[in-house]
Amino acid sequence: MTAVAAARFPARDESRRTSFVGMVMALASWTMLFGSLFFAYAILRLRAGTWPPDGVEALPRLLPLANTLVLLFSSYVLHRGVRAAADARFGALLGALKATLALGSLFLALQLAVWIPLWRSGFRIDSGVYGSIFYGLTVFHALHVLAGLVALLVLVPGARKGRYRSGRQSAVRLSAMFWHFVDAVWVVMFVAVYLL
Amino acid sequence: MADMQARLLYAGPDFHSEQHIHPEPTGFIAKYVFSFDHKVIAKQFLWYGLFFLALGGTMAMMIRWQIGNPGTAFPVLGELIWPQSGGVMPPQAYASFFTMHGTLMIFFAITPILIGAFGNLLIPLMIGARDMAFPTLNMLSFWTNVLAGLAMIVSFFVPMGAAAGGWQAYPTLSTLAGQPGAGQTLWIVGVFFTGSASIMGAVNYITTVVRLRAPGMGYFRMPLSVWGIWLTAILNALFVPVLAAGVLLLFLDRTLGSHFFLAGASVTKGGGDPILYQHLFWIFGHPEVYILILPAWGIVSDLLSFFSRKPAFGYKATAISMSVISFLSMVVYGHHMFVVGMSPLLSQGFMTLTMLISIPSAVFFLNWLGTMWRGAIRFATPMLFSVGVVFVFGLGGLTGLHLGAISSDIYLHDSYFVVGHFHLTMAASVLLGAFAAIYFWFPKMFGKMMNETLGKWHFWLTIVPITIVFCGMLIVGYGGMQRRLYNDDAYAFLQHLHGVNVWVTRAALLLGASQFLFVVNFLSSLVAGKKASENPWEVGTLEWTVPSPPPHHNFDVIPLVVNGPHEFSHPDVKGKDWLAQNEPLPSEPAALGAVGS
Repeated sequence: MTAVAAARFPARDESRRTSFVGMVMALASWTMLFGSLFFAYAILRLRAGTWPPDGVEALPRLLPLANTLVLLFSSYVLHRGVRAAADARFGALLGALKATLALGSLFLALQLAVWIPLWRSGFRIDSGVYGSIFYGLTVFHALHVLAGLVALLVLVPGARKGRYRSGRQSAVRLSAMFWHFVDAVWVVMFVAVYLL
Repeated sequence: MADMQARLLYAGPDFHSEQHIHPEPTGFIAKYVFSFDHKVIAKQFLWYGLFFLALGGTMAMMIRWQIGNPGTAFPVLGELIWPQSGGVMPPQAYASFFTMHGTLMIFFAITPILIGAFGNLLIPLMIGARDMAFPTLNMLSFWTNVLAGLAMIVSFFVPMGAAAGGWQAYPTLSTLAGQPGAGQTLWIVGVFFTGSASIMGAVNYITTVVRLRAPGMGYFRMPLSVWGIWLTAILNALFVPVLAAGVLLLFLDRTLGSHFFLAGASVTKGGGDPILYQHLFWIFGHPEVYILILPAWGIVSDLLSFFSRKPAFGYKATAISMSVISFLSMVVYGHHMFVVGMSPLLSQGFMTLTMLISIPSAVFFLNWLGTMWRGAIRFATPMLFSVGVVFVFGLGGLTGLHLGAISSDIYLHDSYFVVGHFHLTMAASVLLGAFAAIYFWFPKMFGKMMNETLGKWHFWLTIVPITIVFCGMLIVGYGGMQRRLYNDDAYAFLQHLHGVNVWVTRAALLLGASQFLFVVNFLSSLVAGKKASENPWEVGTLEWTVPSPPPHHNFDVIPLVVNGPHEFSHPDVKGKDWLAQNEPLPSEPAALGAVGS
């Protein structure tokens, strides 16, 4: 915090900047959490002679690819919503929140559409290390998507009442940061688990 | 001139306007249970940590009793806990006790006392803030920790008892094959929750230091205690999640039958890997030892200066050394795994990086000695404990070199030498540092002075046995005794060491008994201690510029900081030998005026 910075930012931004710093640290922490899971995946994969292991079918790619696009699009929509809030267009913010909620729910529905047939076909978390990695990582991520959806849902009443005026937008911005983070993790997960 | 300008900019009228003065809560629950006040949360963490310190310490006594007096009943408690064996600790209970002793001491005694209590107390008061950046998160952090502690305590009472796979919980000792009972699962839940609490605290501490420093409180004007706690918070935020990931996978292995740590599948089928857990554990585990020691280093660095009545020798060098060590601690974890069969090239890299830690360690160690050198030392109890830290940490640090070097580590690995080493560094040093901090800040926390005579007796009856205990462990370890042995006297090649073990046990029991002096001192001072003045130790950091105990909002006016934390014996100051951080020199123009309200 330099003197210059103190002069540049008006006082009402102080609290927003504080919560921003906190969120950055929290996301750094979460990055290490997911990073460790990817590290675990990398070690197990390097130890394995063949991947996928013999007798295990490769994972489907089409549906997860579509799902990646769904999440990326949701991030774009939410980003537009945050920009709209900054311009005090609260109707647009509300629309963006609803659209993001719908897209996030679609993502979870498509995840179920991936998991259920695989599980029925006998590919389960306890059927070998490939299954452990697949379900462990994707379900853990999906729980974070769910948490992100709850955070966005909580914003809806406030957006409807136009509560997120200038200087009161921290909740919107921080929830959006978390949402983008969860999306970024998914992109890495899609590449690492499905493509590589 | 530039500095003056910066101060004026800092002192702009709107700065810190976000730090409002909130009215003090009046209801019992809002005031003492679910409190948002960092000072109350600090006290909660202190009581919580002291409770687990007593519990973990009692377990240590029982462990030592089994080694020193094998096959005999532990006095009083033994009959109550193990009536079926006539009061003698059975082997399974022994494994369980050393596991839980380590877990409770690390996550539920040291962490709450040094980081939870003193982190909470000191950060806002020392940097001139009214509270933490996120008071709600602060409260959540404490109560999440309580949930974790409950999981640990409940685990003693489930069938097959508490976790017994060592505090590291290596698979396969910790998977269903090694630990079929629910105790290990509860251990995982407890570690996960206490880790979450640590991360919440860490995010809060980091943000508070970055954002809420009073005007003029640059990073290089922060007391070294705040430096230590801040660096600890950074390591906590970044590396506790790695442990969380490790125990999460272990949890899935135990509950849903996943294969992460399950070895034995064929090469083509792809199998899990128990060593993977060791990687995850030690990527966290090595920073963790610095997480535990950094607050104590910072506190001792301040106290040595305070009681030597001299500015800290090499203040900036100490702060930078601690930062460099924090960074190096992130890249040396492989030295815990020299014997698992990693590539020799990798081992040598880890060894070299480990040895590099000696350089910054030597810098701040010499700075400690330089601070005391030719000082007008006041040997009050906090100072005695601080010098004690210098002594035991010296021993612990030097024995670390033998374990960081591959060739000697392969012999010493998993021996009592390791146990002696890490207890000297992260048990003895941290414990003595915690006592120094409690004796020093007790007046500020509770508004009463502790008894100096009892404090000095407590010091001498602690430092002598603690040195004997852990140096004795170094000796038996060097002699070849493995850690975690239930019955060392049953092995012919260890029988000549049994005498040392007996003496270690006797010293340990003395150490345990002398802690009652502390308990008596703490409780009696709380009730009937001499009333503390605002600044009984005559030092200049900001917490001593406000009443003891401080008001709910800490500072009526946010102070304007014009000095470093150790302004002692300045030739221009007459009538006293110290200068508060917000007190301008007589030769300087009048204060620029404090800000905010």
